[in-house]
Amino acid sequence: MTVSTPRLKSAGIGAASLALFLGVWKAGSLFMGSSIILPSPEETLREALRLTAGKAFWLSLGATLLRGTAGFALSFAAGLLLGYPAGRSPLFRRFLQPYLTVIHSTPVLAIILIALVWFRTEVVPVFVAFLMAFPVIIGNVVQGIGAVDEGLVAMARVYRVGRRKRILGLYLPSVLPFIASGASAALGLSWRVVVAAEVLSQPVLGIGTGLQEAKIRLETPRVFAWTAAALLVSRLTEGAFSRLMRRLRNRRGA
Amino acid sequence: MSLVLQGVTKTFPDVTVFRDLSAVFPAGRVSVLLGPSGSGKTTILNLLSGLLEADAGQVLLGDRSPVEARVSYLFQEPRLLPWLTVEKNLDFVLPPGLPRSRRKELIAARLEEVSLTGAARKYPSELSGGMARRAAMARAFIFESQALLMDEPFQGLDLPLKLSLIRTFEAALEANPKTVLFVTHNMEEALLLGDEIFVLSQPPARVCLHLSHPVPRGRRYPGHEGFPELERRIFRALDPGAEPDCGPGSPRTPA
Repeated sequence: MTVSTPRLKSAGIGAASLALFLGVWKAGSLFMGSSIILPSPEETLREALRLTAGKAFWLSLGATLLRGTAGFALSFAAGLLLGYPAGRSPLFRRFLQPYLTVIHSTPVLAIILIALVWFRTEVVPVFVAFLMAFPVIIGNVVQGIGAVDEGLVAMARVYRVGRRKRILGLYLPSVLPFIASGASAALGLSWRVVVAAEVLSQPVLGIGTGLQEAKIRLETPRVFAWTAAALLVSRLTEGAFSRLMRRLRNRRGA
Repeated sequence: MSLVLQGVTKTFPDVTVFRDLSAVFPAGRVSVLLGPSGSGKTTILNLLSGLLEADAGQVLLGDRSPVEARVSYLFQEPRLLPWLTVEKNLDFVLPPGLPRSRRKELIAARLEEVSLTGAARKYPSELSGGMARRAAMARAFIFESQALLMDEPFQGLDLPLKLSLIRTFEAALEANPKTVLFVTHNMEEALLLGDEIFVLSQPPARVCLHLSHPVPRGRRYPGHEGFPELERRIFRALDPGAEPDCGPGSPRTPA
């Protein structure tokens, strides 16, 4: 099998970009001369390997993954459930608007601190992820519902298509591309706020907890290694979700 | 089932389309509705299908209101769901309680009537314009209804394709009889398909001309010797100022 020239070119450009990044990082660490301020790439890699060898790392990764997924799933379900009526009814949309504006405009840190007062430390990241991702999902669902072809809606009305079939067969496939892009953005956001919430709430296990502990001990290579782990989780889940949405869309021929 | 408008008034924010409009489109016949742009032809279809409500007067399909009655509707565009195959598009309008085997049987029969059996598993994006309109036609006939509303469904097609679709439509109608109300701007379509021809006046519209086609359907063809006289009368009704009954604000309502 031969690899096409544009793909080869694209991979080459990606590799060059990565090499430049590592080069600048290495140069920066040499210039600083202190692994507490800026550890070198190889120090970070060594620390990451040491970290992944321990059971605690995988348990922390799993805990963060679970919290992020739970927060995202809740916001996804609520966004779909409330997005449909909000998209159909301008009055309901108007009713929801102040809540969404408040959530959207409140700094994440303020939400985390308030959640710390209200919930157990384990729940704080889930709640914060839910709250931050919800406006993104619902906004996209409302936008998608607004873009549904009114001609098709009229057709379904004339042909007396039931509500359930109309939602599943007409609205959902129409809104799917909007849901996919909203969910992808919300998923990325979820990981960032989950880790931030873990840093502040300090549950027993979590990437954020690991980050905070490493920072307190001034183990900067470990901070970098935990950051890389968070980045990896985010990329992997977003990739998996995009593939799932693409498969769903292809299956429906849209 | 006759389609009846009794003293119907319909006003949109900037225009009164009808004031006290009455018309009866007879049961089991193909009624064609012609009229100038803005005379409310599509509005009549939307009132009969329940997509719009009259401000005053009564709209009846047989003895039922549009909310209670079941009608099929062939829109200007096929309006197929792009993410469903042709057979799934037909299935979409079938009642949910129908057994699977019966659904398959009905879909196969309707697709055969419109010569689309081979395209059952194709998506709308894979169909030609003519095939998509045939699919929409099959959907209109698979839906259990006594009336069919048609809003210029052959618009923009070349003559051979249009004639082929008209023949397909006539065959499907013979197999599944319905009262038809067909809105068009095209004289040829009106003369080939209409049993009863109605012409609307300028708005606020009234029926200013009603003709029964003297040539039975099935014996009509483009250029039929019986057509020019009908055509002359219809053109006169459509020509602003030529026919006093069809001018704006004329008080008479012959139908």
